[in-house]
Amino acid sequence: MTGNRSRRRDRVPGARLSFGRVVVATMVSVLLLGAGNATAARAPWERVEVIQELLNGAEPQRDAIQLDLPAVTQDGSSVAVTVDIESPMTQDDHVERLYLFALGNPSPELLEVRFTPLSGRAGISTRIRLDSSQTVVALARTSDGDWLADVRDVRVTVSGCLSRDDTYASEDLMQTRVRVPPNFERGESAEVRTLIQHPMETGLRTDASDRPIPENIVRSFEAHLDGAPVVTARLHRAIAANPFLLFHVAPERSGELSLSWEEDTGDKAQVTAAVRVD
Amino acid sequence: MKLSKSISRRESLKWIGVAGLSAAFGAYVRPAWAGSANGRVVVVGGGFGGATAAKYLKRLAPSLDVTLIEPQTRYITCPFTNLYLGGVRAFETLWHDYTELREVYGVRVVHQLAEDVDADRRVVKLADGEVLTWDRLILSPGIDLRWDALEGYDESASERAPHAWKPGAQSRLLRQQLEAMEDGGTFILVAPDNPYRCPPGPYERVSMVAHYCKTHKPRSKILLLDSKDAFSKQDLFTEGWKANYGDMIEWVGRSQDGRVLRVDADRLEVETEFGTVHKADVLNVVPPQKAGIIADRAGVSDASGWAPIKARTFESRQVPGVYVIGDATEAAPMPKSGFLANVQAKMTVQAVMADLAGQPAPEPSWANTCYSLITPEWGITVAGVYEVYDDVLREVPGSGGVSPLDASAVFRRQEADFARGWYAGIAQDVWGTRSSS
Repeated sequence: MTGNRSRRRDRVPGARLSFGRVVVATMVSVLLLGAGNATAARAPWERVEVIQELLNGAEPQRDAIQLDLPAVTQDGSSVAVTVDIESPMTQDDHVERLYLFALGNPSPELLEVRFTPLSGRAGISTRIRLDSSQTVVALARTSDGDWLADVRDVRVTVSGCLSRDDTYASEDLMQTRVRVPPNFERGESAEVRTLIQHPMETGLRTDASDRPIPENIVRSFEAHLDGAPVVTARLHRAIAANPFLLFHVAPERSGELSLSWEEDTGDKAQVTAAVRVD
Repeated sequence: MKLSKSISRRESLKWIGVAGLSAAFGAYVRPAWAGSANGRVVVVGGGFGGATAAKYLKRLAPSLDVTLIEPQTRYITCPFTNLYLGGVRAFETLWHDYTELREVYGVRVVHQLAEDVDADRRVVKLADGEVLTWDRLILSPGIDLRWDALEGYDESASERAPHAWKPGAQSRLLRQQLEAMEDGGTFILVAPDNPYRCPPGPYERVSMVAHYCKTHKPRSKILLLDSKDAFSKQDLFTEGWKANYGDMIEWVGRSQDGRVLRVDADRLEVETEFGTVHKADVLNVVPPQKAGIIADRAGVSDASGWAPIKARTFESRQVPGVYVIGDATEAAPMPKSGFLANVQAKMTVQAVMADLAGQPAPEPSWANTCYSLITPEWGITVAGVYEVYDDVLREVPGSGGVSPLDASAVFRRQEADFARGWYAGIAQDVWGTRSSS
């Protein structure tokens, strides 16, 4: 069960996910818009348009959610992030959605995750790209419609010590790795780690002859247990190359965990893993 | 094209060599007000940072009362321990003592462990009960290993699977294990995520292990399991490994499942993020690190485990009057290197003296070169110059760089010679000791 690798199984040319491509205002216009009296008392991050739209006037609580990432990082191309939210994760009371934003990036969206009670724990880890020193925001909505938020400032230094090989062997593309615990206790959440080999081309780079390299990303991830959703995630271009996602699952009985990733070309990778409940 | 590239590189190296050495090895001007800097300065830690600070305080302001606290009478450098591991340098050539500091410069050297700092009362407490008072305190405690960070890897596990990241008995243990390994054995090095002491260190280490194995155990395999997807001088190491050792060294980055999460020192096994178990014959685990423990006692370290400092002076951001230099600091983008600890010490000495004399701190500038040897005759470098910009440290745009790829054997040999020259020069500068290779 450990170290599973799968070949891409099916190819769905031209398939598009229902998520539309979100058009984002630049930070400048966002700050101009946010200068009104109504929002004067709010923190600058609350005035960012994408966040304002989500909150729609709600006041997020700050205590039940924890965003962890280093205060200083030497490598902005891959910064480890963990979010953990306190919640009973029952049908009546659970975290439904989590949003991650990097406010200083060319586009602020990083990741959206939908949890279900089957997740058992509303927590994820991933790795993100940070263009420069900036503020990272985690925003979550509960099944009661409450909003939770946590905010961290990160300093990104340029390091002459790092050089990076950006070439990808095509046979490695969309290769996956999955780590599922060998056994679970009934109803208790445990970590599942996933990774897919992918350059996550941002569309912002140019090649050796100065031509722009088009955006090409893995845009979604889904985990189902015997057909029931555990987590689904929308990935944006500032998720670091070779997207890593750690999530939780709390199975009631043994079953099959099915994981799938979809590229923006419509290409998919899928893998299954047995879940054993003692 | 290639030729002009390597010539310009050589010239820039020469430039860095000259500028770096003169700034680094002590040819700076003694400020006119240095004589009016009076008071008591205590320096904790006798390595590249601390020994340099104590010496240069006395050198520039002989009237200062300077005490250096270092538990060991003999300091062993971390730079070049990889050469000892590779069998190309005797361990004794890495030993340095404090005779020059004591006898030539009049530094009071106390061989005790500094146990506690009370910054309000401005005292340091030593293990033997002595209490020293100070007007300014400079901490250069280096690193401690985080025994809680890697499942199964604690201090007792390091007796079976050495880290050898703080030189001494651990270095000897790793060398003995390597000598005892059978031809055809597997050497595994587990490398941590950033930040850690000596960014190119793990990669030089496997190079030197390969150098030893190539001669003595040519069927052996070297596996480097890394928590990172990129590392210092990566292209140069990869090129050098291939040219000198074929496929003896295999590097596994984080995205290829190189991140180790669990160590079983008794079985010499490690388990990765995605559950792959690797079995070693010699297991070298370099765990995550933090500032030396005295930084916690003094209150200068933060949740990251490192000590945040004011960019211009390296005074602690958390405790006034206490300065922190070297690997213990959170001074990104500066790497944690011995060379930088030495240069930081010189800049901070000026800031401390200025402070004591009621003068503004002079404008600092720092230079660094990290040499690595892929073979005794194949050296590579990364260099950088740093400055304060908008109150934070940054690399001077356009400064520094790395050795060129595809350079000639002559060029690589020259850089290996520079590395040995650097070691001899800095040992002379810090401890006044001569080192023979």
